[in-house]
Amino acid sequence: MAYFKCPVCRKITSTHFDLARHYLGQTDKKHKEWLKTQDLSYARLITMQVTEFGNKGYDALAKVLKKEAPEVEMP
Amino acid sequence: MSEYSIIGKPTPNVDGPAKVTGEGQYTFDMTLPNMLYGKLLRSPYPHAKIISIDTSEAERLPGVKAIITGKDTPGGKWGLWRRFRELADQQALAMDKVRFIGDPLAAVAATTEEIAEEALDLIEVEYEQLPAVFNPLEAIKDDAPMVHDDFPNNINATRHIEWGDVDKGFKEADYVREDRYVLEAAHPCAMEVHNTLASYDKGTGRLTVWTSTGSPYFVQVNLAEALKIREGDVRVIKPHVGGHYGGKNSTMPDAVNAAILSMKTGRPVKIVFNRDEEFTTTEHRTGQHMALKIGLKKDGTIVAFEVKTITNGGAYTGLGATTLYLTGTFITMPYKIPNYRYDGVRAYTNIVWGTSIRGFGAVPGKFCRETQLDRAARDLGIDPLEIRRRNAVEPGYEAPGQYKFESCGIMPCIDKMQERIKTKWPKVGKDEGIGYSAFAYMSGGIFNWIHTPYAFSSAHIKVNIDGTVDLYSQAADVGQGHNTVAAMICAEELGIGIEDIRLHLGDTAHAYTDLGAWGSRETLMNGNAIKDAAAQVKDVLISIARLKLGENIAYDLVAKNKRIYLELRPERGFSYYDIVKDAIKANDGVPLTGTGHYTPHNKGMISPAYGMGIMATKAKVDRETGHVEVQDVLIVHDCGQVINPLGARGQVEGSVHMGLGYGLCEEMPMDQGMLLNPSFVDYKILRQRDMPPIETLEVPTYEPNGPFGAKEAAEATIAPAAPSMANAVFQACGAEFFSNVLKPEKVLNAVKEAEKKAKRTRKSTRKGTRKAK
Repeated sequence: MAYFKCPVCRKITSTHFDLARHYLGQTDKKHKEWLKTQDLSYARLITMQVTEFGNKGYDALAKVLKKEAPEVEMP
Repeated sequence: MSEYSIIGKPTPNVDGPAKVTGEGQYTFDMTLPNMLYGKLLRSPYPHAKIISIDTSEAERLPGVKAIITGKDTPGGKWGLWRRFRELADQQALAMDKVRFIGDPLAAVAATTEEIAEEALDLIEVEYEQLPAVFNPLEAIKDDAPMVHDDFPNNINATRHIEWGDVDKGFKEADYVREDRYVLEAAHPCAMEVHNTLASYDKGTGRLTVWTSTGSPYFVQVNLAEALKIREGDVRVIKPHVGGHYGGKNSTMPDAVNAAILSMKTGRPVKIVFNRDEEFTTTEHRTGQHMALKIGLKKDGTIVAFEVKTITNGGAYTGLGATTLYLTGTFITMPYKIPNYRYDGVRAYTNIVWGTSIRGFGAVPGKFCRETQLDRAARDLGIDPLEIRRRNAVEPGYEAPGQYKFESCGIMPCIDKMQERIKTKWPKVGKDEGIGYSAFAYMSGGIFNWIHTPYAFSSAHIKVNIDGTVDLYSQAADVGQGHNTVAAMICAEELGIGIEDIRLHLGDTAHAYTDLGAWGSRETLMNGNAIKDAAAQVKDVLISIARLKLGENIAYDLVAKNKRIYLELRPERGFSYYDIVKDAIKANDGVPLTGTGHYTPHNKGMISPAYGMGIMATKAKVDRETGHVEVQDVLIVHDCGQVINPLGARGQVEGSVHMGLGYGLCEEMPMDQGMLLNPSFVDYKILRQRDMPPIETLEVPTYEPNGPFGAKEAAEATIAPAAPSMANAVFQACGAEFFSNVLKPEKVLNAVKEAEKKAKRTRKSTRKGTRKAK
C-alpha cells in the first residue's frame, strides 16, 4: 500500500486526495504559506470546495500534491 | 415484561410548585451579604484596536470598588473546543483589539447597578478602527481583514463527509436538481438572561459561582482555564434556569468577569446582562449559505446527495464548529442515502458568534432538504408523503463511518400520519395546503470536543434509613424537565415513589461529572447513569430480601410499588422500607450507596440513539397580503419509551413554537455588525395566541441504548416546523422558498413568481398540445 506525507506537518495518508482533504482542513499559517509557494491560494481552493458541487478544491490540490508529496514508507 | 409503575405515567414537573409560586431561586434572585454589582464596558465598533483605556475618573466615582481591563485579568483563554486549543478563543476582556460590537473590554464592580453603569460612562477608551468583515463569503477571501491573527482567511473550521460514490450516483439518477439557500440567524430568546453570582474566598482560595447555565461542568473547567486556577478550586452551582435553548452552553463573560471582580475585591459580585446585551452579545443560531444537489430515480428513490455550506461564524468559536459538523450529518437523516458528500466551512466574522441553538446542526439543513424534496416530488409526480416513505430508514440502517439507527420508528410514524390525516384534514380549502417534513435528532453527542477525561455522565445515590434517596449528579435541568425525569428513572429502578427521591443536581461540588444539557442528552446519558446507580442499590436490597425469604435462589425477586417480593408470588415479600433498615444494619450502619456512569462506546460518531418522526402542517396563504396562517400541526413522533408524557408533550410543543418562529418571523438583521432589532419590541417571536393547535401522536419503540428504552424528545421537532410550513405554502400555491423567514413580502414575491411560472407552463402545455394535434 502506498503512503504519502504532508509536506508541512508530515501527516501520512493513503491517497493524495486524502492528503488534500487533510491539508484544507488545517487552519494554521504554515500550511497556508506552503500553498503560496506552489502558486495556490487557500481561499480559492476552499471556496471551490464549498461553493461548487464536486470535489474541485481537493482535486486541484491533490494534483499538486502528486508532484510534491511522493510515496513514502510507512514508519 | 412487567408494566412500569412510574415510567410512562403523566407526571407533573417536580419543580412546578416552586416555579409557579415564585419560591424557586434563579441566579437572578440571589443575593449575598456585602455583594457588589458588576457591569461590562462593551465595544461600539465591530473591529478596532484598543489604543488606551483610562479608568481614573470612573475609579473616583463613590461606590465604585473595582475596575478591571484586559491587563488585569489572568489572561487565560477558554472555549468548549478544548480538544483543539487554538479554538479555545474566548477571553474575559479584550486585550489588544475588539472583534464585534459588544465585545467587552472593561468591567466595573460597584455597590449598586446604577453606580456601575454610571462608571462605565466615565471610562475613556481610544480606539483605532480596523476594516471589518461581516459576510462569510467575503471573510474567506485572501484580502479580507483578519478577525484572529492566527487564522488566515478567517477559516475557523472545515468539515468534509463523504460516503459511497457521489459522482456515479448522480450519473445514475433520472432526475437531478440543485438549489441554493440563505438561512437567517435567530436568537434563542431565553426568558432568563445570562447572569452570574461569584464569591471568592481569599482564605481558602476557592471560588463559588451560581450561574444560569446548561452545564455546570463546562463553566467549572472554563473558569479554571480563564482564571488559571485548579478545577477543584471552582464550585459551580446551577439554580433553576429560566430557559437555555442552546444559548447557555458556552461560558460567557458574565461568569468570568464576576469571578475576577470577586477575586479582586474579596466580595461577592453579581453580573446580570440586560436584554439588549442578551441580544447583541450572546450566542445565536448561525446564519449560513447552503447549496444542495440531489439525484433521484424516477420512483423517487434518492441515489445521490451533495451539500455545501458556509456559516457566518462570528467572532469566536463556541459550539459553532460542532454545529458545522452536525449540519453535514443531520441533513441526511432519516433517509437512506447511498452516496453522499458534504463540505462545510465556518468563517470568523466581526459579529457576535453563532453556536448550538436548540436542534443545532439540524434546523437550517432540514429546511433546505425538505423543501427541495417537495420540489423533486412535484417534478416526479410523486405524493410528498410517499417520497418520504420510499426513502425512510429502517432499524439497523447505517451511514458508513457516521451513525447507526438501532430503534427506528420512522416507517410506523409515516403510516400513522397517513391514517390520521385522512380523518383530521379530509379536505383542504382554497389557498390551503398540507406540508410534510421528516426529522431525526441525536440523544446526546458522542463527540468529546470538551476533552473531558471523565465519564460523559455519572450519578450517585445514597439510601437513608427511612428509605429516602438522595440523588446526586451534575446533570442540568434547564426547564426541559430533567429533574422530573431523573426522579422517575431512579424511583422506577428502585421500585419506590418519586416523593422518596431528594434531588441534588447541577452542583459540581456534590457529584461526579455530567456534561450537561445539550444535544438532548440528559434523558439517555444521565438516565443510564442514574439507572446504573440505582440498580446497584437494588441488587443489595434484593439480596437481603432473598436471605430473609430463604427461597430457592432460582426464584426472581422484583422491587416495585415500595415492596420487594417474589415475581411469581407477589404476596411473598417485604416492605422496601423494612428491607432498607435491615440492609443498612447489615452494612455496619452505613447508608446504601451506588455510583453509576455512562459513556457511549462503539456507537458511531454522532449519538447512541435518535428520536425521529414526521410533522404535517396545514397552512393558508393570503395571496393579497402574503400572510401565512398556520392553521394546524400534527406530529407523529418516535422518542422510544416515553418517560414522562406530560414533559415530552411540553418539549414537542415548545420545539414547534421555536421552529415556527424560525420559519415565520425571527431574524437578526445587521448593519455593519450592529444588530437592528435587539429587543422584544423589534425581534418578533410567536406569542401563545399566534400558535396553532398541535396534536402529537407517539409511536413507541424500544431503544436498547436508553434507560427503559427511552431516547431524545426535546429537540427533534424544532427542525421540521419551518419546512413543513413552507411546504404547506408550496402545496397551496406553488410558492418556493430559498430562505427560512416567510415574511409577507417574501411570500407575496414567491406567490407572484409561482403564478408567472404556472402561466409559462400553461402556455408551453398549450403549444405542446397544438403541436401534437
